[in-house]
Amino acid sequence: MSVTDQGAESHGFLGEEFLTWLWFRWEVDGGEFKLSGGRVVGVAIDDFLSFAALTEDETEQTLRRGLPTRTAEARTALRQGHRLRKARLLIAEGDRQWTGTLDGPTLTMSGVKLPDDAEECESESDRTEDRAANWLALHEIVQSLYGLFLKERLDKEYRSSGAEAQAAWMAK
Amino acid sequence: MASIRKSGGVAPFFWQGKILDPRDDAFAESLAPHRFRTIENAASEEISTGWVTPADPTGDSFAIEDLEGGVGTWLRFRVDKKSMPMKWLQIHRDAAEKARGKRLSAKERRELKEDLMDQLLPRVLPTITLVDALLFHARKTVLLFATSKSAKEAFSKLFFETFTVQLEAADPLQSGLRADISPDQRHALERIEPIRWSKSAPGDELASIASAGRAASEGAPTARDHVTPDAVSAEDHARDAEDDQ
Repeated sequence: MSVTDQGAESHGFLGEEFLTWLWFRWEVDGGEFKLSGGRVVGVAIDDFLSFAALTEDETEQTLRRGLPTRTAEARTALRQGHRLRKARLLIAEGDRQWTGTLDGPTLTMSGVKLPDDAEECESESDRTEDRAANWLALHEIVQSLYGLFLKERLDKEYRSSGAEAQAAWMAK
Repeated sequence: MASIRKSGGVAPFFWQGKILDPRDDAFAESLAPHRFRTIENAASEEISTGWVTPADPTGDSFAIEDLEGGVGTWLRFRVDKKSMPMKWLQIHRDAAEKARGKRLSAKERRELKEDLMDQLLPRVLPTITLVDALLFHARKTVLLFATSKSAKEAFSKLFFETFTVQLEAADPLQSGLRADISPDQRHALERIEPIRWSKSAPGDELASIASAGRAASEGAPTARDHVTPDAVSAEDHARDAEDDQ
């Protein structure tokens, strides 16, 4: 079984495709996404990338610090058809900004940093309320972005439209 | 009571079915039978897992106001683990072997370990881990603030024992099944296969990539020509056809 087939029951590969698609959309369209309910969010890839190995024998490649998406190693990995397994994301909505590393196969996040507490928070309970809302917002944003990706990915014309465009970008 | 965390890892889960409304006293009461129980004085290695509240880490009280988490319900569970410190065992074994002037047999080592556990474990304090979660009742979603396998398993088990509903990790499949997609797309999602983005031209790997720009200007096949969604399967089909012939 290839590494990319691991987590097949949970469709882990789709999470990797989702992360790679986020990178593609960020570079090609600027990373602005219109979500349901009139919500507009900006997404960018930050300073950590980890590519999934295509087979068990291959080395998993991790790039960190600086601008890893601009490196020759990252472009090479894309050209070779590697998907992103993990990436540190910057997510912004209005004046709120989250950072965190999204794990594609599980859609869990590590090293999350919520936006700063709202200025009007005066008590611990105010802060809890504010942070709980920010945790929920982050979850909803990630799920909505994933929903956008799925709509495109599950489209019958995907292979001849979106996939071709992404393939061209990956080969650049 | 401190406020909920503003950084760290998070693992989302979904559930199906009904659980008690966190606004009702019955919800807080339902945590009590599965409360944390101390193993402070236990004389054996063991793990204890159970609910506590952010306001009371002992597991003795479950007031509904202690679960207040703004838009969500703030759950907390505690895992205490008591284990024999291996360094102590090694020190005592070394001392016994030095006194005897020879190595202990396997049977003697086992007996020494059992004696030491009886003596030392009641005096050993357990390690304590507190894990938080935010439950969003209407969304049937819970965010666990831990990403380790052991924490996720312990939480899922405790949740099931308490509410008799099974948590499902919000992985790409489960998240997809809850996304706003059509029934046809839902069906397609369950049967979807990964896209095999092709490798660059066989045999020329990095060299072909390095020269891809030049090759393109010369009209020769480039790495880009091979990075198409169906490239691998097309190559495979062509190879299969040749084999058949």
